[in-house]
Amino acid sequence: MTIRGRGAAWGHGDTPRAAALLLPAFVGLIAFIGVPTFLTIFVAGTDKSLTGPSFHWTGTANTRTAIHDGAFHQSVTNTLLYCLYTIIPALVIGLALALAAARVTRGRGLLRLALFLPVTANLVAIAVVFSYIFDSDGHGLANTVLGWFGAAPVNWLGGTATALPVVASVGLWRLVSLVFVLYLAGLTAVPESVYEAAEVDGLRGWARFRWVTWPLLGPTTVFVLVVVTTLTLQTFDTVSVLTGGGPLGSSTTLVYYIYQVGFTNSFRIGYASMLVVLLLVVVIGVGALGSVLGRRARVRAARTSAVGGSIALPGGAPEPAAPALPVSAGAGR
Amino acid sequence: MKPRFGPATVGRWALLTVGVIIALLPWVWMLRTALGPGQNALGISSNPIPSSITFAHFSDAFRAGALGRALINGLIVSLGILILQLATAIPAAYAFACLRFRGRTALFGLVLAALLIPPQVVAVPNYVTVSAFGLADTRLGLVLPFMTNGIAIFLLRQYMTTIPPALLEAARMDGLGTWRTLRKIVVPLSMPAIATTSVFSFLLSFNEYLWPLLEARSPAIATPPLALARLTQGANGFPDFAQLCAAALIVSLPTLVVFVVAQRRLTAGLAGTGAAS
Repeated sequence: MTIRGRGAAWGHGDTPRAAALLLPAFVGLIAFIGVPTFLTIFVAGTDKSLTGPSFHWTGTANTRTAIHDGAFHQSVTNTLLYCLYTIIPALVIGLALALAAARVTRGRGLLRLALFLPVTANLVAIAVVFSYIFDSDGHGLANTVLGWFGAAPVNWLGGTATALPVVASVGLWRLVSLVFVLYLAGLTAVPESVYEAAEVDGLRGWARFRWVTWPLLGPTTVFVLVVVTTLTLQTFDTVSVLTGGGPLGSSTTLVYYIYQVGFTNSFRIGYASMLVVLLLVVVIGVGALGSVLGRRARVRAARTSAVGGSIALPGGAPEPAAPALPVSAGAGR
Repeated sequence: MKPRFGPATVGRWALLTVGVIIALLPWVWMLRTALGPGQNALGISSNPIPSSITFAHFSDAFRAGALGRALINGLIVSLGILILQLATAIPAAYAFACLRFRGRTALFGLVLAALLIPPQVVAVPNYVTVSAFGLADTRLGLVLPFMTNGIAIFLLRQYMTTIPPALLEAARMDGLGTWRTLRKIVVPLSMPAIATTSVFSFLLSFNEYLWPLLEARSPAIATPPLALARLTQGANGFPDFAQLCAAALIVSLPTLVVFVVAQRRLTAGLAGTGAAS
């Protein structure tokens, strides 16, 4: 109920009412995201542990620990390898599938349903099936297929060379689907007139993709890269279920290592916080880079669209100055 | 353009076929294993078609993993989160979309910035907060940290900005205040976006793993992914994959059903986030 009378104008005088409307959301935002983030940054400079009540400010001691921590280095290498196995392949395959599916008319609903399914999959459940598919003896699906070609069974999850790629295959399976969904949405936003103009100019096949579709999808590509990279850097569920980081730490990703440091092996919350702040810095860096690249991509897409004889902006961004990328740290976790 | 059956069309369909097979393979394999004979160390089979069909693994999985209880926990927690998120996001989105006030852009920027923060960053302090309120190892403790969802605010705001200002003006002329405009005009008009947001929220909360892993220590309040993970770890290196696959299928079922029912909404919603990039 408003206390104001009829004369109250909608306009600049809405501040008190806006404050009331925003209050519940900001209570949650401040209590469970804002303050905790600053607490973590503070704790990153201490030797706090989960068990002891007292702790001390140690400045950069945790950073120095990290420099000499071989397990941490391994987790960073593993995370980078994981990114290498998943991000670009997911982008290429997802885009190819989206381009192919965009032109399908008959059976389109079922096709999209099947290709969207992995996005909503419960990662723990999928990890269970993958652990069976990549079971070590001759009975897992992967080894059965190898057997058809006369190859010896591989100890997929138990081998230091194969454990990380197998975990990454679950990530790839899921990310392809997410990339597919996002690109399909991006493609639907491209106006038909742009393609017609390209047709008139004699652009077809690869040339049309290279000079029309790809630049028009630029903003989508930047968005996809930011989302996928952010999610990939946070890989945890699958590692936890499939390998527990093993064997010999060969599939320990950064976030799984942080979990081990903070919650299982040593309960060193201070050190774990320092590592998680590192993750935060990288994620913010990716977001900022995406913001800059996104702006450039939008300009380029607008130019391509105008050349194509249309003034419509693909993606139809209602606001030219969308403040930031709505990257969900949690989307499709 | 007329459909032609050139090499491009064949290539396109080949790609899509392989894509669909790989997308569905884990589900099909889950079903095939769950329905087939036992897959423990004694009797393992790699036949694509099981030699016999049984539903026993489903009841076994239900009992061994206490999945019935886990599913109820999962539904309570996910719906609790959903209600809180709608209660916080709808008014906030309305303020951002329809009201003018000082600091609007800055505050909205803050909401979006919060989306960038990985959940791992806030996990430990949130555990401390929840424990301080005596809510560690409770369902409420599983719900509370998720009360504000920036994506929900974002999606709803995007939708509400499309409501014609003339309509809001007319509501004002009719003497409707801020609250009643929200209740009688904005919420009914935003139902499609609210539905999409709800589906997103449900899927994410139901599948959440990290927070319950830290917060829900006792089996009595385990959510489905947690119960499934514990069932897997309890196998001690001799997993009965038939039972595990049955459990995985049971745990996946609620989200699968919601997803199949709401597929179109989800796509539209994702298109909305993509457009704003």
